[in-house]
Amino acid sequence: MPPAAATNLAHKPPDGGWGWAVVVAAFISIGFSYAFPKSLTIYFKEIQEYFSVSYSEIAWLSSVMLASMYAGGPVSSILVNRYGSRPVVMLGGLMVSAAMVLSSFGTTIIHLYLCVGVIGGFGLAFNLQPALTIIGTYFQAKRPLANGLAMTGSPVFLSILAPLNQFLFDSYGWRGSFLILGSVVFNCCVAGALMRPVSNQKPKGCLPPSNEAVDQGAVADAGPQTADSDPEEGQHEGKGQTQNSKLVDLTLFKHRGFLIYLVGNVVMFFGFFAPVVFLAPYAKHQGIDEYSAAFLLTIFALVDMFIRPFTGFLGNTRRIRPKIQYFFSFAVSYNGICHLLFPLASGYQGLVVYAVFFGVGFGMVSALLFEVLMDLVGAPRFSSAVGLVTIIECGPVLLGPPISGALVDTFGEYKYLYSTCGVLMLTPGIFFFVMHYFNYKKLEDEQKQKAAGEMRRPEETVELKSNNEANK
Amino acid sequence: MENMPASWKLLLMLLLVLTASCGRVHAETLAPSPKPLASVPALSADMRKVAVLKSQNSTQNVQLLNPVNLSLECSLTADHNNLPNISAFWSQDGREIPDSRLTVALENQQYHLQRLFYISGEEMLGSYSCVFENGVRADFILATPPFGEVRDKPVVSYVRDFVVLPCKMEEAKPKPLSWRWFRGNKTHKEQISEQPERFQIHSEERKSKLKVINLTHEDAGVYYCGAVYAIGTTMNPIELKVITYQEPLKPFIGILIEVVLLVAVIFLCEKRRSKKNTSKGNEENVDQNNIKLQEEEKGAEEGSSMRQRKV
Repeated sequence: MPPAAATNLAHKPPDGGWGWAVVVAAFISIGFSYAFPKSLTIYFKEIQEYFSVSYSEIAWLSSVMLASMYAGGPVSSILVNRYGSRPVVMLGGLMVSAAMVLSSFGTTIIHLYLCVGVIGGFGLAFNLQPALTIIGTYFQAKRPLANGLAMTGSPVFLSILAPLNQFLFDSYGWRGSFLILGSVVFNCCVAGALMRPVSNQKPKGCLPPSNEAVDQGAVADAGPQTADSDPEEGQHEGKGQTQNSKLVDLTLFKHRGFLIYLVGNVVMFFGFFAPVVFLAPYAKHQGIDEYSAAFLLTIFALVDMFIRPFTGFLGNTRRIRPKIQYFFSFAVSYNGICHLLFPLASGYQGLVVYAVFFGVGFGMVSALLFEVLMDLVGAPRFSSAVGLVTIIECGPVLLGPPISGALVDTFGEYKYLYSTCGVLMLTPGIFFFVMHYFNYKKLEDEQKQKAAGEMRRPEETVELKSNNEANK
Repeated sequence: MENMPASWKLLLMLLLVLTASCGRVHAETLAPSPKPLASVPALSADMRKVAVLKSQNSTQNVQLLNPVNLSLECSLTADHNNLPNISAFWSQDGREIPDSRLTVALENQQYHLQRLFYISGEEMLGSYSCVFENGVRADFILATPPFGEVRDKPVVSYVRDFVVLPCKMEEAKPKPLSWRWFRGNKTHKEQISEQPERFQIHSEERKSKLKVINLTHEDAGVYYCGAVYAIGTTMNPIELKVITYQEPLKPFIGILIEVVLLVAVIFLCEKRRSKKNTSKGNEENVDQNNIKLQEEEKGAEEGSSMRQRKV
């Protein structure tokens, strides 16, 4: 049985049609948001030489960008709540683009921090949140699949951006590359253009005519609400969707499911990214050459790429969808077990096996990460929820890799790092299992009470009617 | 001494003769028995490199930092022929060293060839080989410490901008005495001297950086960073490419135009559809309003379902 916080939307999600174009748009936005900061590391060595700074100073660029991206979450939520996804994404695309172009003329490292780091980070935040939010408005029945497909953008874009950046760097040096990247990232505006607000949607024109009949039926159903196909009316509907939240919905902190998600995720994120970051260095430490170590990451990315849509598909099946929180708990625990067993791996074959299993785990968690949040709080409050979650997750995400690095430096051994990450993933996994068991129980009780309550009201009106008729 | 009796003098003289003869015996046992080879004894060599050969050729890299007396030795294991003597010679950079051809005798199943070289300067570095009669040879490549990472792609920078060309000698290799930078091609290299407006050289123990300021197209080409050792200099080539801002501008504008076009197409498509729909929608509205009136007349069920939707 789906939890009570389902679609409290004023319209029926199309679950198809233009929704798939929106999935493509979200694919692009999410792809840029996650992959772009990671792919910039190729330029770091040259920029470090150019500005004569130390390695840690250049690594700060990544951290500033990531911090801005997470800190921009709430701002993004507010804007999406007021204006809808489309303008925010287009603004975000414009911001990152301008940031990259400006930074290509930069004269100091501070210039880069401000442009690429702060403005670029905020621009990417304005891409990520709306992309996730709009999927919730377009999909209900097929939402896990849509989420899984959209999240696949991250590994796909990373696989494209990494060689592209290498090619640009070899041809144009870092300045020219930043200029061209500014135009590449401008494609986020195309993604934004595709993110049509959902109540605008009428099924003709650019779609093939066969969809008409089906969607006409859907429109007729929602007839009384969206009688006028006037675009302005549609925008009002868009605003009206989140009528209970003006700025950021802080009542979410009283929401049981949201709190479970938040607490578990904060612990989980300390150990989520570090194993990826240290996979290649660990391999080199074991004596494996650089190319084979890089190949491990390629295997990991490939597995990740295919697992995400597959996880979305699985999450959509009739068996799993109602209890999707358990699926997420399983995914998190699986990651934990993977890391705990990793020190047993020996030789290059062991590392390859680990890369495959870890790829599966990482992909599963990523695909479900936002789907379960949507499932818990519902589509209207999702925008605020994700804003709050990202700003609170900012801490663990930023602190995770440096703390892990410190662990490696202190002990000189990588296995303590992986054991710690394993524990940091397994504990939230078990926490999720236990807490969601209770949460589902409570939700079922609440559903029963609500259903009982509604049963009584029609009976009362029937009584009233019969009384009226009797009185007549 | 004059007061000593004659017997004491005799005893003293005997003692002296005895010690002298003992010393001579010691000296004789300490002196090395000369080896049955025609070259200089190996005692005066500072460094010794040995190649053990059987049937295949071997190559050895010898890293040199300072001028050195280097003894190169080749030991060829005898095959089934067991010839008592074979001839061999030494060659330098492919050319036979004059007067180096020898006949080597078989000793303990091995033919042992040795030669002492005095490597004084960079011109003495190169490839030295011992070649045996049956064609088996050992190559010794004498060189200064090589650079680890050699960059194969050029460094790209822009006109009127500056560029920093880095050079590094790894921890594992010996420290160079100093660093020098050169420009040119393989045959003719010109050293770059520090000119405050054009070139700045910043060198540390293991790193050196050349900063070329205010670039022009003429500055493009190959630069060599030289790690200087007492015996010679190791060169690391770095290619510099200088381009103008117009080069990346072309793809930049191309992609910008693509984005603007796509966005325009998407918005136009949408506008056209919504126009179609408003004209069709007006007809539908009339129909739907009729349906609405009919439905409202149905009563309570409709009301409860409307309430559900509004939640």
